[in-house]
Amino acid sequence: MKTFEEKWTAWIDGELGGKELAEFEASLPNKAAAEAEKHDAYKLGALLKEQLGARALSNEDFFSHQLRERIARESGPFREPSLEASAWWTVRRLFFTGVASLVLFVICAVVVIREKNPGEQSQYLTQILNARIDPAVSPNATISMFETKEDKVTVLWVEGLQSLPADYAAK
Amino acid sequence: MQTEATLAQVDVSELDLVKQCQAGNTEAFDQLVTRYRTRVFAMIYNMVHNEQDAWDLSQDSFVKAWKSIGRFRGRSSFYTWIYRIVMNVTIDWLRKKQVKGAGAEFNDAIQLKEIEPASRTLPKADPLPHERMERSEIRTRIDNAIAQLSPEHRAVILMKEIEEMQYHEIAEALGCSIGTVMSRLFYARKKLQNLLKDVYENI
Repeated sequence: MKTFEEKWTAWIDGELGGKELAEFEASLPNKAAAEAEKHDAYKLGALLKEQLGARALSNEDFFSHQLRERIARESGPFREPSLEASAWWTVRRLFFTGVASLVLFVICAVVVIREKNPGEQSQYLTQILNARIDPAVSPNATISMFETKEDKVTVLWVEGLQSLPADYAAK
Repeated sequence: MQTEATLAQVDVSELDLVKQCQAGNTEAFDQLVTRYRTRVFAMIYNMVHNEQDAWDLSQDSFVKAWKSIGRFRGRSSFYTWIYRIVMNVTIDWLRKKQVKGAGAEFNDAIQLKEIEPASRTLPKADPLPHERMERSEIRTRIDNAIAQLSPEHRAVILMKEIEEMQYHEIAEALGCSIGTVMSRLFYARKKLQNLLKDVYENI
């Protein structure tokens, strides 16, 4: 459903026809005034066409030259990709440098930590046995067991034991 | 038929040029620019009323067209397609200018070169000084009247009256419905008729 404005515009421009035209013209309260306004619209159109239709672009060749230069500068087929690539390589280099530095730092940190705690990674595994020693008989006694898994050798180290209880027996 | 054939040839060659542009041929684009630069410039000039701004906006429009020509699918004519870019660029610029509240619009110190439509075929004497002054005054009146329209109304009235575009072409160029175009045309005409009645009545 067209609005009045749409119908009026179509009527001015001669775009209404047939039944639609007849209905619209019949709906106009003052046909003579409407026709006068239509005539005014034609005059306005002619005035605009006459006064504004002949604007010319001076220095046409320079316009095209400037445009060519600008297009070559802003979106040239070779320049822009190379610039983009060089920027991308710089970012990539930065990224790899960062990653390499981080890896180097981690390796150094691991080495330093290992050197500070050499016993932790000894080939000997020390186990404190669940020994039950009478504190009254041997107050400072400790029993340790050293085990070399590769050689399948176990050494029992007893220290501070003043006397071996009679009920102790090797199993 | 002769005209239709010629038009068809023009259309085909234009489509060829577009395809060459899409393949990266800047010379083909240069030909399209040569075809449309004057109309594009005139259209923008009538919207912004300043030669330097019109020049810059025309350049911006063509650069934008070059950058996005890969997306042109040929559903509309190249002419309508580039007008859409021109209108987007110009209306955006006018809106920004309105927001900034920049000074008077009619600050064009450069005298425009004017070409009479019939000058190529008919010898015509230069206008007399009083005629020239009268013409300049009329143009100033028209420019002032158009400046009172919104960017969208300016675009519609200029495309219809100067470019003689169809409703659907204007709608496509402005990205709106045909009904909106007709409605805008109604109000733009009404306003200009009120502002310029004494001008066109006395010519």
